[in-house]
Amino acid sequence: MAQQTAPMKSALPQRRFYFDVKWLIILAIVAFLLVFQVFPLVYMLYKAFFPESVFSLSTFTRLYTYEMNWGALCNTLVAAAATMVLGTVLAFPLAWLVGRTNMYGKKFFRSLFVLTYMVPPYLGAMAWTRLLNQNAGTINVFLRGLLNIDARTGPLNIYTIAGMIWVLTTFYYPYAFITISRAMEKMDPSLEEAARISGASPLKTVATITLPMMTPSLIAGALLVFVCAASCYGIPSIVGAPGKVHTVTTRIVEYMGLGQAGINDATGLAVFLMIMAIIILYISDVVVARKQYITVSGKSTRPNIVDLGRWRGLTTALVSLFSIIVIVIPFITIATTSVKKNLGKGLFEANNFTTMHWTKIFGRDDIIESLINSITFAAAAATIGIIISFTMAYLLQRTRVRGRKIPDFLITLGSGTPSVVIALGLIMTMNGKFGINLYNTAAIMIIAYLIKYLMMGMRTVVSAMSQIHVSLEESSQASGAGWLRTMFKVTVPLIFPSIAAGWFLIFIPCFYELSMSTLLYSRDTQVIGYMLHYYWTYTSQQQASAMAFGILLVVVALNFILNKLTKGEFSI
Amino acid sequence: MSSVTIQNVTKSFGNTVVLENFDAVFQNGEFVTLLGPSGCGKTTMLRIIAGFEKPTSGCVKFDERVVSSDKVFIPPEKRDIGMVFQSYAVWPHMTVFDNVAYPLRIKKMDKDAIQKKVDRVLAMVHLTQYAQRIPSQLSGGQQQRVALARALVAEPALLLLDEPLSNLDAKLRESMRFEIKEIQREYGITVLYVTHDQTEAMAMSDRIVVINRGVIQQIGVPREIYSHPANPFVADFVGKIEFLDGEVKAGCIELDGCGQRLPYEGDKKGRVIVGVRPEHVKYAPVGQGTLSGTIKSHFYLGDVNDCRVDLGGGKELRVIADPYDSMDVEAGKQVSLTVREFLVYDEQGPGNDFRKILT
Repeated sequence: MAQQTAPMKSALPQRRFYFDVKWLIILAIVAFLLVFQVFPLVYMLYKAFFPESVFSLSTFTRLYTYEMNWGALCNTLVAAAATMVLGTVLAFPLAWLVGRTNMYGKKFFRSLFVLTYMVPPYLGAMAWTRLLNQNAGTINVFLRGLLNIDARTGPLNIYTIAGMIWVLTTFYYPYAFITISRAMEKMDPSLEEAARISGASPLKTVATITLPMMTPSLIAGALLVFVCAASCYGIPSIVGAPGKVHTVTTRIVEYMGLGQAGINDATGLAVFLMIMAIIILYISDVVVARKQYITVSGKSTRPNIVDLGRWRGLTTALVSLFSIIVIVIPFITIATTSVKKNLGKGLFEANNFTTMHWTKIFGRDDIIESLINSITFAAAAATIGIIISFTMAYLLQRTRVRGRKIPDFLITLGSGTPSVVIALGLIMTMNGKFGINLYNTAAIMIIAYLIKYLMMGMRTVVSAMSQIHVSLEESSQASGAGWLRTMFKVTVPLIFPSIAAGWFLIFIPCFYELSMSTLLYSRDTQVIGYMLHYYWTYTSQQQASAMAFGILLVVVALNFILNKLTKGEFSI
Repeated sequence: MSSVTIQNVTKSFGNTVVLENFDAVFQNGEFVTLLGPSGCGKTTMLRIIAGFEKPTSGCVKFDERVVSSDKVFIPPEKRDIGMVFQSYAVWPHMTVFDNVAYPLRIKKMDKDAIQKKVDRVLAMVHLTQYAQRIPSQLSGGQQQRVALARALVAEPALLLLDEPLSNLDAKLRESMRFEIKEIQREYGITVLYVTHDQTEAMAMSDRIVVINRGVIQQIGVPREIYSHPANPFVADFVGKIEFLDGEVKAGCIELDGCGQRLPYEGDKKGRVIVGVRPEHVKYAPVGQGTLSGTIKSHFYLGDVNDCRVDLGGGKELRVIADPYDSMDVEAGKQVSLTVREFLVYDEQGPGNDFRKILT
């Protein structure tokens, strides 16, 4: 039986080329990133190699034959490498204890270590200089008494490269801890149970299964610590510079202080940082990530609890001691410094307690103004950032639009670029030379913050979006809701906790930002991070400590709000 | 070690009791299945035997050796057990050979012996040519075989299998069932198998332990479990069944609602629950059956005709009829039914919730 099939006529005329609004959005984001991120970096590279429009390595030969710069370069590499090793060596056992054993207070310690991640690094630097400065450092005084040392200085000295490594480690190990912890949470515990049932002891299981499987994340975490430590400005400027331990970042800021005369040299140094960061980012994202084992299982989420047995109390005590040294003591030091009349005396010595510094900082217009600036700039960056993040999440997770990975790549690149490099690039290009003049404006600071911290928000929202199966949106549309209604009634409410978390993740580091602000501020756009650093260096360490402790309280409060807002799903 | 004795084991996580007074003995060389709906505690029992969980109270013995009790706890690595996990748990950073050789290397066996044993067990699970592959290059079924080989290579006397086939497709599942059974016979080991799939349990086990809400409902050979289920839960969980309420009268049970009667000579009295398996109901020539009703709906499934018959008063009975039955099956038709066999239970009381299977 022959069946006749008439060719179906399409009611709509076929359009070969049609305009997709998604492309416009991608184009806008890409254009923004190209202008404010890629162009400045490329221009800096160009300037470094073509200082007078002709190819020349003169900038580099001049720079690196100068002993102070060469020393700074070595210091940076040595400090970053040592921090990387120490940080990872600390982070892995901590992540394992928290993720895989029955140590007491696991949840508490986990939040505590992650919280450090959200504390400005310069706060640690300030605390440790109070604790370990040669003359009056609290720990030094204590040790001299304990060991009966008859000297006016020592035995420890913070203003050395070792001191710098110590502070860098205490503030950057959480980066490795978080990376490793996340990977461990994703690892199917049955893999370790299978080793146990095959006859391996808990330690043997760690050595033959957990550690090898964690290696890619371990390397990724270590590289992250390296880049962060190498591009850090706050810690070296507070701990290193007074003892003439220079790093690339402090040298860049010093050169920039010279004005136009120093800009070429600053560029030469920045290019070194930039290239190093890009290479490491490449290794970490492309080479290491590809080796990642995906072993997320559908069911078994119960963590395989290793019974520590008689070691349970001891490990808990050791981890507590570590937390006290690395977190509690520095925080307390900042708090006590802020209420001391005389820095050299103990808090409980007669008449040494005062709230003077607190009243002062709240009484000074420049500080209040900078605080308002910080909040405004950070909120602006966070709000713009979260809109871009949501758009990117939608593009990445819900569409197959060509080119959607380009902004993703650029945003990742931006976050990996050292802060001082971003700021320097913006200064060199956004001064009207190329038609855009943002010099000394709030906009240039917000843009810098966005480039550096956008990725934190984006990753959070993208991963939340990937957890929401597309069928949830489709069933809303099938019920008759339009695209916009679906977004606002289904998608956004479902990922709201992540949107809130993403907003805070951008807001918090912008709020206390120091490195970029130091280079980009103007008389009207001073921010709290810069102000604090200025007061610490030139005015009063007590008032700076009061500000730092204030910042710390704000961070903790924000964390608390976030926790409530997302019903406990997120706290940073 | 070869027999497993579980004495009065209770396990609770916080306030939730997941196992209650679990008592059972598994004999040497036996294939025992723990069967129950998800969340019933069967996996917890397996993990207690493996040593991944400690019982809150009670004791577990391998032969005469206590492995878990209030005072004694032998860690999993010292129990000499083989175990296959639901997620396979094949190590992705090792080759198939290294995965399987792992338990032997832990025992510090010499190289030649390891090579020999691994080769033998890989041949048994048909993976000889894949020895040098890494797991990501294998299919789900092959990974499952690697896990099985790894569990068997050290020749444990006890093998634990935690829903090992649930991630495989239907065809593969059937052939693996057969293979696991073959291997068990060859090694002569005791196997403890956890599943929620009653067909799997029926096909493979020497004995089945049916569990619900952490409590053993019945232990018995498959035939006994199916034809003499200890309570309505077991009857419902294993096989298909319809329940009707009724009351015992002289020589019969009068069904509620429809008022129809089933002949009954048993010793139950008063209010009862009658369980009827659909395959035990047959169509009879009009007037000759014990029950009568109207066909409400029917589904032709090829091998059977799955019908629902209205007995009156809102009561229904499911009938699985031979599609080649001489009678034409169609909705609205008056029919007579013979019930070849049925189960009678005492009414379960006000808290009667046996039909709510935890899922």
